[in-house]
Amino acid sequence: MKRLLGVLVILVLGISLVGMIGLAEGKVAVVLDVGGRGDLSFNDMGFKGTDQAARDFGYEMVEIQCATAADYLPNLRNVARTGEFDLIICVGFLLGDALGTAAEEFPEQKFAIIDVGWITGPNIMNIVYRENEASALVGALGALAAAEYGYDYVGVVLGIEIPVLYHFEAGYRFGIDWGIKKYTEVKGTTPDVGLLYTYTGTFSDITLGKAASEAMLAQGAVAIYNVAGPLGIGDLEAVTEFHDNAGTTFGPPYFFGVDANQDWMGNGLHALASGMKRVDTGCYNAVKAVAEGTFTAGVTSLGLAEGGVGISKMRDLIEFVDFGIGAGAITLLDVPSIVYNWVRNRLTVPGWIWDAVDELEAGILDGSIVVPTADTGNEMAAVRAEYTLGAP
Amino acid sequence: MSSEVTKSSSRLWRATGRTLTGLNPALESVLAGVVGLLAGALLMWIWGYDPWKAYMAMFRGAYGDSYGLASSAARGAPLILTALTFSICVRAGMFNIGAEGQLYMGAIAAVTIGYFTLPSGLHITAGIIFAMIAGAVWSLVPAILKLTRGVHEVISTIMFNWIARFLAFYMVAFILVDPMRGEKTISIPMNARFPILVRGTDLSYSLFAAVLFAIVIYFILWHTTMGYEVRASGFNPKAARYGGIKSKRTMLTSFILGGLAAGLAGATVVMGNPPTYAVISGLPQLMNVGFDGMAVAMVGRNHPIGIIIAALFFGGLTAGGRVMQFYGSNPVPLEMVRIVMGAIVLAMSIPELFRIFPAIKKQGTELFSLLRRLTSRVSHKEGSA
Amino acid sequence: MTESTARAKEKEEQEFFLRAEKITKVYSDGTVALKEATLEIHPSEIIGLLGENGAGKTTLTKILSGLLPPTKGRVISPRGPVRFGSPREALDFGIGMVYQHFALVGTFTAAENVALSHEHPFSTIQLADTKKGLEQLMEESGLHVPLDVPVEKLAVGEQQRVEVLKVLSRDVDLLILDEPTSVLTPLEVNELFALLRRLRKDGKSIIFITHKLKEVGSITDRVVVLRHGEMVGDLKTAGATTEQLARLMVGKAIDVEARAVELTEEELPHRESARVEEMKSGPGILHVENLNARGDTGKIAVEDLSFDVHAGEIFGVAGVEGNGQTELVESLTGLRVPTSGVATINGTNILGKDPREIYRLGVAHIPENRWELGLILPFTLAENAILGVHQWDEFKGPLSFLRRRKINQHVQELMERFEIRATGPSAPAKSLSGGNQQKLIVGRELAKNPDIIVAAQPTRGLDIGSAQYIRDLLVEMRNNGRAILLVSADLDEVLALSDRIAIMYEGRFMTIALPADLDRETIGLLMGGVTAVKEGV
Repeated sequence: MKRLLGVLVILVLGISLVGMIGLAEGKVAVVLDVGGRGDLSFNDMGFKGTDQAARDFGYEMVEIQCATAADYLPNLRNVARTGEFDLIICVGFLLGDALGTAAEEFPEQKFAIIDVGWITGPNIMNIVYRENEASALVGALGALAAAEYGYDYVGVVLGIEIPVLYHFEAGYRFGIDWGIKKYTEVKGTTPDVGLLYTYTGTFSDITLGKAASEAMLAQGAVAIYNVAGPLGIGDLEAVTEFHDNAGTTFGPPYFFGVDANQDWMGNGLHALASGMKRVDTGCYNAVKAVAEGTFTAGVTSLGLAEGGVGISKMRDLIEFVDFGIGAGAITLLDVPSIVYNWVRNRLTVPGWIWDAVDELEAGILDGSIVVPTADTGNEMAAVRAEYTLGAP
Repeated sequence: MSSEVTKSSSRLWRATGRTLTGLNPALESVLAGVVGLLAGALLMWIWGYDPWKAYMAMFRGAYGDSYGLASSAARGAPLILTALTFSICVRAGMFNIGAEGQLYMGAIAAVTIGYFTLPSGLHITAGIIFAMIAGAVWSLVPAILKLTRGVHEVISTIMFNWIARFLAFYMVAFILVDPMRGEKTISIPMNARFPILVRGTDLSYSLFAAVLFAIVIYFILWHTTMGYEVRASGFNPKAARYGGIKSKRTMLTSFILGGLAAGLAGATVVMGNPPTYAVISGLPQLMNVGFDGMAVAMVGRNHPIGIIIAALFFGGLTAGGRVMQFYGSNPVPLEMVRIVMGAIVLAMSIPELFRIFPAIKKQGTELFSLLRRLTSRVSHKEGSA
Repeated sequence: MTESTARAKEKEEQEFFLRAEKITKVYSDGTVALKEATLEIHPSEIIGLLGENGAGKTTLTKILSGLLPPTKGRVISPRGPVRFGSPREALDFGIGMVYQHFALVGTFTAAENVALSHEHPFSTIQLADTKKGLEQLMEESGLHVPLDVPVEKLAVGEQQRVEVLKVLSRDVDLLILDEPTSVLTPLEVNELFALLRRLRKDGKSIIFITHKLKEVGSITDRVVVLRHGEMVGDLKTAGATTEQLARLMVGKAIDVEARAVELTEEELPHRESARVEEMKSGPGILHVENLNARGDTGKIAVEDLSFDVHAGEIFGVAGVEGNGQTELVESLTGLRVPTSGVATINGTNILGKDPREIYRLGVAHIPENRWELGLILPFTLAENAILGVHQWDEFKGPLSFLRRRKINQHVQELMERFEIRATGPSAPAKSLSGGNQQKLIVGRELAKNPDIIVAAQPTRGLDIGSAQYIRDLLVEMRNNGRAILLVSADLDEVLALSDRIAIMYEGRFMTIALPADLDRETIGLLMGGVTAVKEGV
């Protein structure tokens, strides 16, 4: 086993080395916002996708982090003015303004940006996601599980109130509402399931995520959906502690991951599913487009149909277990127990619920179900008014 | 035997201390800087980065061309001001840790001018004045707490930093929020921004505001009776009192001056830093500017002119540090860049830290006894309950 | 040598606990603090160490307790010479000292303070063990203090007992107490004495530094008198009289320029007129009535003082330091708020006013501590020269800018007029010699053109030349019709300069008299708190 692994490692290294020597012809840069690496989610995925594409298409990749928001524009300028980079990928909406300025100043430089659709230019590829579609699936799952187990609420801990997060919230609300209706349709009784949601105002303070989750769990939330990158670590911690105090090891309450497939986190014990937003796919596609000469400016929207978002499945788990190993968060030896725990946890949710979630997914894919979304505060208010979910 | 060893080592220590204190301050700083660079080089070498290439990248990024110089200066401008906040109070014998919170308040106040329309010269002046007043008001509360209730300024300013932080979070998220963009406040209108000084860089006229303010502070401290009284109380409060100086007034003065500086720093960040010209939720462009100022103050020997130089140096470290991340064949990750910067700044702060050590010690004992009194009061209450 | 005398000698040698032999101490500035002092300490003995300020008492005890090394001479134990590199080493040997200013952490409890004194910096503190040990020690010594209360909540007497306990817990054989009664109430003094007697019974030696003659009589077995660094007497308390001790302590006048020599014929009548004025007992420039003030510890430091200082008069206050002189001066210069009484300058009330207002009324203050109060050492000469007058229009321009030119001119004048030797107006004050620093202060104060000069210890620590120069200045000012309140621990100085003398003891004036009416023995007795002459010891 060990020897096999060794051979494998040498092989991979050898191939990548050969690949670099053989193919290296340009450079791509990936610029991250202040959140930085290590979130096992958004930023790490941006890195992962760019890195993978750089390997596949023979680019040298440079990763640039920003210590403060005042570094965004200087960093973009620093990279752009070298003129050496075929593409600069900005991971995250926070970089939007800086990108707008830099793209104007360096019209020859190609840029791609994740999550920003409102700043456009002839040299900017905007990659946006229909997060509402994935969130709807997670919301439906949560609502059905709450109804099944008699919980009062499903919870979501969000970051800063920005359009991207409105997508999540809108989809989640719709999904919960759909789940309640589905349950009524199947069981004949309308369950009393509401939504608990908190905008923590941060994408970095993990303690705030934990605190918000603890409050929701105390009120009887069946699951905490993490929609704030690294705060999920705190959310999951709260869920785990809740189980420890209750003396349970699996079953509700659950944790819902975000962006990446976070199902493997916490040894797979409590993460039921993740509302995936494949930032890596977006980054990969951008590099690929540059490599293949098909780079086009303008907005590309990725949804369920494009494989840009989705609810986590078994095959995603395996892929992201690799991701976790790569990040050094887990080792190969942890994998069997993670898979076992995850499967066991999934089995606590009856099969008909999973079927219902699949039904919703199919409906969205064939266009028979349209998930609402929101880009501004007013639109969000409208969605909130339509799907009040227990709130006045 | 062991006492011999301690004796000779203490003698060596003292001798070193004498030699070092005898050094010309500029030479001392350079020496300390070299020690810091060496320490940083050692760290990079241990983790397998080429220190020489990395430092070359840093130097070129910071001072290699006009773009680098401008980037360094842009980053240094607000630091000049937050360093002044700390230094003025050190000169008055106090430790004002509150620049961070006062800076937030200044930035928030500056944003509010986005709701008015004024002619361009007036508009920018209004922003500056708003911000400075907000900073001063925020620093006034700990000052008054100290004067009337004896609350130690280290504790109160730290507490006020937190209050300011969450207050700013709230203001950004709910009051001043850009209706189109939830993650930030409204932007400062065009004619209330500090004009860009060097095209294609971050450097705006805010640098002049900062330098001018530092020079004004220099004149106040060294050439007016007000500054005379502040410095006298700082060096020797007893003698100051003997000299008819009212310590309460000098405390208040230095807190207000410090608050004005920090408030102005907040204005320079939001009104002078492209591209957003707004406060972003979570304050990512304001975070630590106040605390970094304390390090700048140390490196700059708590002297306004020294601070200007130190801030440009500090800005250079940041600007150069960015370049270290992707320069040539030896990219150094940001984490390592920050460790190296930390080593350099620490080394350069040490001489001044030693110089004001008696002051620090005094603060320490005061704080300690305060904490002790608090805990004993609590335990007594518990006992009686 | 017969066997019996040899044995007797041996016995005698074993009998002493410690002997300081011909100790000389010269400080780095050249001051000779001790000249060949020899002191033998026996077990079960309380030695009173008597002397004026600067007699060398503290220096001697600091050498014994390891805080200072002697310049010459040695310390011998029955087992041979000993050298203490630090107080810790002296403690290990069995010598402990309790200072006038307690070295206690106010917020720590007694037990914590004791534990703190035991431990090396990096070891963990075994508080429980310490407490157990202390309880036992308190039982044995009869010395009781609450162990679990922060010491700042304790009375001063109790704090002192904590200090004693701290030292005793190190199992010392020799306990040195520096002016232990100066901070205590009479009741606490009695308790302290009872404790000391118990310790003596247990075989401990005690050195008791004091200037109070009564206490010497009531507690000590032996008295050692120091004067100007020399040991001038070593006698059994039982055989000594108060007068004898007073004489030994004060001694005969050394050659500080005697006032008679100083005065020219023209000045003498002036002196007479001052006396005449006093006879008329009209109010002086400074008028003080029933002044009361408390010290920093809350103890009454100035008690019911009433006096006048007239134009053209030097009113000298003599006495051992710590008898309320500092508090008196502070009360009159705005640095301390007195508890009650009246004080006026030219009829204007000054009590409760701040220093700046008092200076405006024509008061100059030469403070007793030039480093703590008189100067801001890191400041330049020029900056120091305007301390207290920096707000005067002379030095303050528009926008409250300092008038550099005027200030420098002022400093140049001061430097010339008062012979201040320095590299220039921008030299830091700390670079000046002590004499020049004091001249700077005196010059600054006299240049205010004051009506009254409050001079506290104006010549302390100065070389003879500078001291004499400053004394001459004071006399000159007096002759120019200023009133001068001179407070000095240097008795000779007070005697030489004053037109009238008050002897201060425990916050009161024992007497106000003309110098001619006081002989040195009487002064010695008064300074020691003895009013009734011919009192046996």
